[in-house]
Amino acid sequence: MGGAPDYDAHGKAPSGVWYNRIRHFEIEGDPAFSPHRCGSTENHPHPAFGRPPLEGEVAAASALVFGDATHVPLSKTVNVPMSCMHCEEAHCVTVCPTGASYKRAEDGIVLVDPNRCMGCNYCAWACPYGARELDENAGVMKKCTLCVDRIYDTQLPEEERQPACVLACPTHARHFGDYDDPHSKVSQLAAQRGRQSMLDELGYKPTNAYLSPRAPAQVMPSLPVRSGLSDKAKAFVNRLIQL
Amino acid sequence: MKPALSVIFFTVFSGAGLGLLIWTLIASTMPQHIRMDAVTFYKAIGIALVLTTAGLLSSTLHLANRKNAVYALTRWKTSWLSREGVFALLLYPLIAAHLFVIHSSYASLAPFTMLKVIACALAILFCTGMIYGCLPTVPRWNTWMTPAKYVVFGLMSGAVLFTSALSLRPVEVGPIRTPMMALVFLVLGVVLYFAYLLRYPRAHTIENALGVTQGRVRMLDVGHSHGTFLTHEFGFQLARDKAHILRWLSILWAFVIPFVLLAWSPWYWVASVLCIAGLLVERWLFFAEAQHVVRLYHGQRVV
Repeated sequence: MGGAPDYDAHGKAPSGVWYNRIRHFEIEGDPAFSPHRCGSTENHPHPAFGRPPLEGEVAAASALVFGDATHVPLSKTVNVPMSCMHCEEAHCVTVCPTGASYKRAEDGIVLVDPNRCMGCNYCAWACPYGARELDENAGVMKKCTLCVDRIYDTQLPEEERQPACVLACPTHARHFGDYDDPHSKVSQLAAQRGRQSMLDELGYKPTNAYLSPRAPAQVMPSLPVRSGLSDKAKAFVNRLIQL
Repeated sequence: MKPALSVIFFTVFSGAGLGLLIWTLIASTMPQHIRMDAVTFYKAIGIALVLTTAGLLSSTLHLANRKNAVYALTRWKTSWLSREGVFALLLYPLIAAHLFVIHSSYASLAPFTMLKVIACALAILFCTGMIYGCLPTVPRWNTWMTPAKYVVFGLMSGAVLFTSALSLRPVEVGPIRTPMMALVFLVLGVVLYFAYLLRYPRAHTIENALGVTQGRVRMLDVGHSHGTFLTHEFGFQLARDKAHILRWLSILWAFVIPFVLLAWSPWYWVASVLCIAGLLVERWLFFAEAQHVVRLYHGQRVV
């Protein structure tokens, strides 16, 4: 069998798979602004022209729309951590024949009961996000629990009652909170930045969401030509060196 | 999707067994058209039960934790897999009741018990198809044609097998006439198969996967250097020329050659074996060619 085995992810000395992979994508911006992408202008017609732009031709409408609002005129790398989305319409739960997969009524967290799971993989088939993986040693399905053991642990200081991935992220890119509360940090962030979800057309209504990427800084496609006396001197020296 | 041999074996063999069961029971009600003595009837029922049971048992082989399989009967309200299990277990008492009734003084109940067995067998075939047909994550399967295919292919292979089972009759009954029902279902099966191949329900792109409404997305890095459960389960890649060969092999074996053999020759058992072999190839392709949307998160552009 392929796949990294899940040794003992929840024991005293945790090791193994964490079901929280980070994938990296590039959103290709306007080809006219991405001259480093070899051949990109030939393959992708410019949205404003309907054909690859000619040399020196600059498009007026060069923005790409990400979600509803954010404009991304340049290519952009997005890092996408993929954990369980704890969907509102969790199909992984309804297809489960044993009732091992369940969605908690009180907070909507989707969990697996290992004492009922028979390891048929059907819920992994039903998940579009790849959130579920079979633990071949235990023979049961494993998934992100939203660190349900941490977030309700009253022994922990209150600021630590968050999922481990949120606490561990060095750039504080991950946030944890209650979308139902309009004053919570996640609701306010989502209102400011826009809330993005994946594969909406499948109708799973994922609860975990992504903040829309910020607009990148505008970078001039080429450096302006400077022609002061010192620049001319430098150019002269460069030419001397190249002789 | 990874073509798991236990599931392929299960769906083809229990499908053929259930089809044979249905046709044998129907034939037993029309002795003026199909002459079948009691021994042949029991032989046919026996073959049907052996095939169905072998298939159902092999379906448990892919479970990673078989001791919890008993819970699989509990969620019949939402899960097609659970419904299939319930109907599969219901089939045996229903058959026993029917066999008891036809030999008892309650023979007038026989049509009633027979209809129950037939309805239960059809329900198993339909539930098996819906297990795959209800998944929006595998667009190739998410169409009404998936359960239709399971029901029609089960009845088709069952009809071909029933002709073979009839050939077990004593010699003095006489030769078998052209098996019209098998021929009709072979034609229906091949038409449905082509319809399934030609109609792809819908497609998702890597842009949908990220929620980008304009612009192009490409994968830079998948986030792991080793294979994972996901690449193992959903990353199966089938070579296009291999798929082409297997497709025509399955069409020839499952539909065309059995049709020719049944219509113009007495080689019923050859037709049955070829039909089942062709359906095994077809079922392997059914899994191998279906693509799960999680492949978009591994860099595939369209699923």
